[in-house]
Parts: sequence; C-alpha cells; structure tokens
Amino acid sequence: MQRVLIFTNDPIAEPVRQMSDGMGAVVTFHGVVRGEENGAPITAIDYEANEPMAQHQFELIFEAMEKQWPLESVRLIHRLGVVPVNEPSLWVEVVAAHRAEAFAACKFLIDEMKQKVPIWKRVL
Amino acid sequence: MTVTVKFWSYFRDHTGCEETPMNLADGASLADLHSQVLQQFPDLAGTEKCTLKAVGLDYQDDDFVLSDGDEVSLFPPVQGG
Repeated sequence: MQRVLIFTNDPIAEPVRQMSDGMGAVVTFHGVVRGEENGAPITAIDYEANEPMAQHQFELIFEAMEKQWPLESVRLIHRLGVVPVNEPSLWVEVVAAHRAEAFAACKFLIDEMKQKVPIWKRVL
Repeated sequence: MTVTVKFWSYFRDHTGCEETPMNLADGASLADLHSQVLQQFPDLAGTEKCTLKAVGLDYQDDDFVLSDGDEVSLFPPVQGG
C-alpha cells in the first residue's frame, strides 16, 4: 500500500488523483474549519502537533488499515498553524478496488486519528 | 535517574514551560512521574483523568517503568482534523 503523509503550514492544494487501472474506488475527505465552536463564532483554528509522534501514530494507523483492507494507497495532508474558517485542515484520499473497503478504511483512519494522533487546536 | 517531561497544548499554559527535567527513583513508573509532575505544577490539577501519556513516540500505561534519559510527553485529548 502506498502511503503519503504530509504536514504543512500552507493551504492544502488537493493533489491530482493517482490510481491504477485495477482500482475502482477513490474516497476523498476534506475536513473544513467551521465558522462556529460551541455555538460561538470563530475566525480560525490554530493547529499544533507533536510532529514526530504524530507521524509515528499515523504510520501505525496506516499499518492497521493495510492489514484490514486491500488498499492501493492512502494519502493524507494535515495543515498546521492558523487555518481560517471555510478552509480545509485535513485532506484524505483512500484508493481501493471497491467502495466498501475504501469508505471503511477512510472512516477508520479519521476515527483513529481523532483518538491517537497528537494534534491539538486553539480556537481564534 | 532523570527523564525529560514535555508538555503540549494548553498544558503548557498551566506549567509555564515546554519541558522540564525530572529526577526520579530507579524503577519509577509513569504514574509515579505523573504524581510528581502534579505536585510540581499544581495548576495541572483537574487534568489528571484526561491526561494522555507517551514515552518517546508511543503511548504507555501508568505502570510503564521508566528508564534514565526517557522523554515523556504529557498532553490533553487530541483534536486533529
């Protein structure tokens, strides 16, 4: 399974889709900063990461995905620093032969990230 | 032995520092370290149950036995995405 993991302080530019002829499903997900937090309006979220540990924890999640589903690739970009409202903080792409594993693996990745990957946010 | 404790997110606001060295008895566990940290930084009171603990790059349980030179990270629940 091909893996790409990027942390960036720049706006996320969605990469061009990459998949081989045998693949039939691409699930992509954008996590976008909402304009409110707990009912109060906000302007942005400032993301902080323990990058070495975050990279390691993502790799563990990717390994678990690879064991559970036949996937061709997973690519993930997480933005750090200040992300304004309406801009994506997260982009994920999962490529598989069929939609069931692509959807399931993408959901698993995001659910696990929200439990284990040391990234935090401050509302601005 | 001495370990380095790193604080992340709003825990830094409570401790006023990014990291600190801690002297511990040989054989001390992660729970022992956490108790010592709470004594040294009383503003962390109330965070005990939500604190996540890692040694190096991996999460560890409270009964993990520390070694000289370990780097411990203490932080609140994660919020990526």
